[in-house]
Amino acid sequence: MKHAERTFGDTLLKVDNITLRFGGVKAITDVSFEIREKQIFAIIGPNGAGKTSMLNVINGFYHPQEGTITYKGNPRHQMKPHEAAETGIARTFQNVALFRGMSTLDNVMTGRLLKMSGPSMRYYHNKLANMPVINYLTYPAMWFGDFLLDSLYWGPYQKEEVAHRKAAEEVIDFLEIQSIRRTPVGRLPYGLQKRVELGRALAMEPDLLLLDEPMAGMNLEEKEDMCRFVIDVNDEFGTTIALIEHDMGVVMDISDHVVVLNYGRKISEGTPAVVQADQDVIDAYLGVAHEEDLIET
Amino acid sequence: MFYREAGQFYTSYAKDQGIFQLRQDKYGLWGILFIAFIVVPVGLYLLVQGGLMAASTKDYLYNSIFLLLLVNSMAALGLNILTGYCGQISLGTAAFMGVGAFTAFKFSTGLNYRIQHEDDAGELVSQLVPLLPAIDNPILLVLIAGFVTAIVGVIFGLPSLRIKGFYLAVATLAAQFFLVWCFSRVEWLYDYVSSSTIQIPPLKLFGLVVTGSETVMRDGQAVTIYPAAETKYLICLSLVVFFAFIAKNMVRGRIGRAWMAIRDMDIAAQLIGIRPLATKLLAFAVSSFFCGMAGAMSLIFYLGALEGAEAFNINESFSVLFMVIIGGLGSITGSFLGAAFITLIPIFLVVSLPWLGGQFGIPVDAAVVEHFQFMIFGALIIIFLIMEPLGLARLWQIGKERLRQWPFPY
Repeated sequence: MKHAERTFGDTLLKVDNITLRFGGVKAITDVSFEIREKQIFAIIGPNGAGKTSMLNVINGFYHPQEGTITYKGNPRHQMKPHEAAETGIARTFQNVALFRGMSTLDNVMTGRLLKMSGPSMRYYHNKLANMPVINYLTYPAMWFGDFLLDSLYWGPYQKEEVAHRKAAEEVIDFLEIQSIRRTPVGRLPYGLQKRVELGRALAMEPDLLLLDEPMAGMNLEEKEDMCRFVIDVNDEFGTTIALIEHDMGVVMDISDHVVVLNYGRKISEGTPAVVQADQDVIDAYLGVAHEEDLIET
Repeated sequence: MFYREAGQFYTSYAKDQGIFQLRQDKYGLWGILFIAFIVVPVGLYLLVQGGLMAASTKDYLYNSIFLLLLVNSMAALGLNILTGYCGQISLGTAAFMGVGAFTAFKFSTGLNYRIQHEDDAGELVSQLVPLLPAIDNPILLVLIAGFVTAIVGVIFGLPSLRIKGFYLAVATLAAQFFLVWCFSRVEWLYDYVSSSTIQIPPLKLFGLVVTGSETVMRDGQAVTIYPAAETKYLICLSLVVFFAFIAKNMVRGRIGRAWMAIRDMDIAAQLIGIRPLATKLLAFAVSSFFCGMAGAMSLIFYLGALEGAEAFNINESFSVLFMVIIGGLGSITGSFLGAAFITLIPIFLVVSLPWLGGQFGIPVDAAVVEHFQFMIFGALIIIFLIMEPLGLARLWQIGKERLRQWPFPY
């Protein structure tokens, strides 16, 4: 893939001078960057650089003390993780965070939960939600109507379940995990678990997909598969992807734009080629000889 | 070889999403329902008519075993939704059952409250005034009890957002003690009787006497009609079967997926857009709804009259928790298996120990039976949990997998 050929849309997420402190420890200091639509965006850095904290900030898990986040053109207020999910941000975890008691299919179907509003709630959102007073009065009734349909698994609800099953099956087909559809995810090997986790995130049809070390602990073949999926997701669905990865080969190959963090500060930013040649980045990864050390030895 | 999916293909997602993956399971369930609804009542009736069984034995079977089993199954279903599916440990089950029982009682007597005034002689006169017309439909009472308990459950479920695991168990223990205290101290709940006992008034369903007795004139003579054990049994059975179906539907649909997501990995669940508080509270509400119905059924059908602090003490909470753990957390079938295990094994031991002693010429009196019952029962629980920590439902699952191949080695 030649980077010059790729075109990106507008800015999807803009992070401005974010500072995140835990007590006296500064996890992130004054970091700014922009993720543009349809981009594959990589955040790299040595261990403890604040990469995962950055994703947690974007997710709404952590609330930065300073700085602003602009998402889809609107400055974002302090939000909870589930609210971030409602705005179209999906995420996978460094250590697999699947629902271990459920099958692959159920895990992917759980990813569809936000899309599955019942018929009464859909009516509410289309017709009633904007009316003053009436919206508060009708909300419980509408919610309860859906709840009853759900508990009877009947009529409109069953249709909905089938429609979303179809969407889930498309994700399953895309990731080629048809054969493990009914297997409890706890029994799957690590590589497949990572893939199911990606499937669960994809089922949300996100606008921004955050991948926290998607290739960690994989062998070469699994890594290549996963790279292919990441590129395909970006290509076919036009999903913007922000990923953290330690495998430099992968990062340099698939990403369009790289941000390098070290000790919570941004030390470099640019296309993979630019970052690769940056002396600060090389120093951060390989260490740098300090002058006083040189004098002593 | 007979118990496998060979030749069963599903061509639509709707069919593939059905409750049963195997046709054999479906027929099995219909078979069980057929036995419970038709074979048992008709069979027992014929046995009594044919003189093969005493009428009192039949009534004992219904009133002391089947009804208790059904009430416990309903309670276990409720707790399994909360603990097994949503992962929130609760030790307040009995208290929630109690709320159901007292709600049923209050609504069956018209929500009485007391007004007191001094009469001309200066003596205090008390009078009970009903707020609402008394409800005499047992099913309606059970449903109302469920709704009221759901509200109480939501209130006591509020700490679950901040507290997890064992700490939540302790918080629900507070519900247990507080509510049981209310059952013996808040006079309004038991209509101000000095013994703090509640007794269900006569109820009828479709003209059939369900509780109490009714005296009618027949051929110029007063005849007292007592409730038939079959009536109670069939009403309870219908309620349990219907709500087990509802529970199954919930846990296999989006509600159940949200619960299980919270149970398995609450951080990931939030990132998918599941609201933790709303989801947990819904689990508390539904669970309490079931427990409340179980309590109301216990009062209306099983006991008839009870003392709240006695009938719904902490032992009952633990007993339901054991049912769920032994039956299998996160399994509807498991709730029934667990309820059957905990309910039937003690009864079985009570019946079989004296007989066993008789075989060896050892006299076994009631006290010995009671001690042995606890010992054997405790040992059985430990053995089961070591053999299969995931409960009877898992054993059943393993059995089914074996049956797939039987009688061939593979």
